[in-house]
Amino acid sequence: MTHTLNRRGLSEDRTHDEIVILCMAQQKQKTQKQEALKEITRTILKYKPDNIMSAPLGANEEAIIAMSVGAGIITAVFNNNEDVRNVVAEIKSKKLGVSMVLSGLFEDVRGICAANNMQEHTYHISLGIFGRTDKLPDDKTMEITTQCGHALISPHLVNDIVKKIKKGKMTGAEGARLLIKPCVCGVGNPKRIETILDEMAKSE
Amino acid sequence: MYIDKDLCQSCLDCLPVCPMGAIMLKDKEVIIDYEMCVECGVCRRFRICPEDAIKQVEEIPYPRIIRAVFSDPLVTHESTGIGGRGTEEMKTNDVTNNFTLGKIGFSVELGRPGVGAYLSDLDKVARKVTSMGVIFAEENPVIPLIADRKTGALRPEILKEKVLSAIVEFLVPEEDALDFIDELKKFMNEELETVATMSVISRADQNGDSEFLKKLKDHGETPYPNGKVNIGMAIV
Ligand code: SF4
Ligand code: SF4
Repeated sequence: MTHTLNRRGLSEDRTHDEIVILCMAQQKQKTQKQEALKEITRTILKYKPDNIMSAPLGANEEAIIAMSVGAGIITAVFNNNEDVRNVVAEIKSKKLGVSMVLSGLFEDVRGICAANNMQEHTYHISLGIFGRTDKLPDDKTMEITTQCGHALISPHLVNDIVKKIKKGKMTGAEGARLLIKPCVCGVGNPKRIETILDEMAKSE
Repeated sequence: MYIDKDLCQSCLDCLPVCPMGAIMLKDKEVIIDYEMCVECGVCRRFRICPEDAIKQVEEIPYPRIIRAVFSDPLVTHESTGIGGRGTEEMKTNDVTNNFTLGKIGFSVELGRPGVGAYLSDLDKVARKVTSMGVIFAEENPVIPLIADRKTGALRPEILKEKVLSAIVEFLVPEEDALDFIDELKKFMNEELETVATMSVISRADQNGDSEFLKKLKDHGETPYPNGKVNIGMAIV
């Protein structure tokens, strides 16, 4: 999720938008933080995220917990700020000593921190895209493809799915499920992708 | 990656799943263009082929294996000298304190989104930032690819390899950071054959604000309204 910060299509006039949560044990502490990771992943799962690491590979809750412990990391997407607030509160109260990064609108993160009596520690800020920007797909397509930090969502697949939705051969929700599949970190947001696909199908 | 001609029924289902557009119909045959393919593994992971005709060779040779290491999050390989996939950058900064007040972390990611990058472009960026005297993040997987630390030049045999993305990470004193951004933007817009995202890491001040974010806006930058924030959860 290194580059969830480069997600496009989030806007300051639409706060309470999606938030990606990442919890990571520092490399040297990975072994001693196994129980903590288990606890964190269970807490996140309790609040039913819209997507979570390794779910696109078909992993069930037990496998998700095992993978997060093995990798020393867990990532998940929420479309509900209130849930994130509660996840943060619960994890904070357990004093597990594992880092947490929230990726979303800075304003939303501020609200979540304030509600939990916490403060931002370090910012990662995107300045945009440079170089041969003429080679980029259109903006709407990028709102979907930039949801995978490893750039594994194909812009060609987005176009293909939009065509199928227009012809009534597929729904936006089915298209979204397909598009989040290659993103193994589970940071693709199926709800937002569905909305974007439906917008694209209507406007083209 | 390649397609087994004997198994393929030319249903064309796999064509759109490739982020590089490397799967195509050529002379009535579905093929994977060897040059365009970055070995990201998406086509196989999708399990889209009803005939299981999308195959991987037993062992991708060096230097081509570099493509997989930088494009497939599930691949690491010892022949490259690259141990992990990336650094923890600011994700664990509440433990490591690698990014302190007065220093700005930079990430320049080539090839993303959706374009891919030849390592010849990575070579250009590594040389450029080396000439500007930055401090590289040593755990970054790009570091073992640099053959000459004085110039930033990469191993010559890898320059024609194409990857989905590669990130260069380094530190710059805060007082130099804005000039650095200007120079690097100009360089990227003029010299690169691909796209690159540029992002900066800044330690929050005592109120949880980022002074540097304000400076960026005053400088005329238009940073995204969204980004990543380490919220200090590890400090108990
Ligand atoms: S490995 Fe990746 S780049 Fe190569 S054909 Fe498959 S999806 Fe395309
Ligand atoms: S999905 Fe399989 S059978 Fe269909 S074109 Fe691709 S390789 Fe051939």
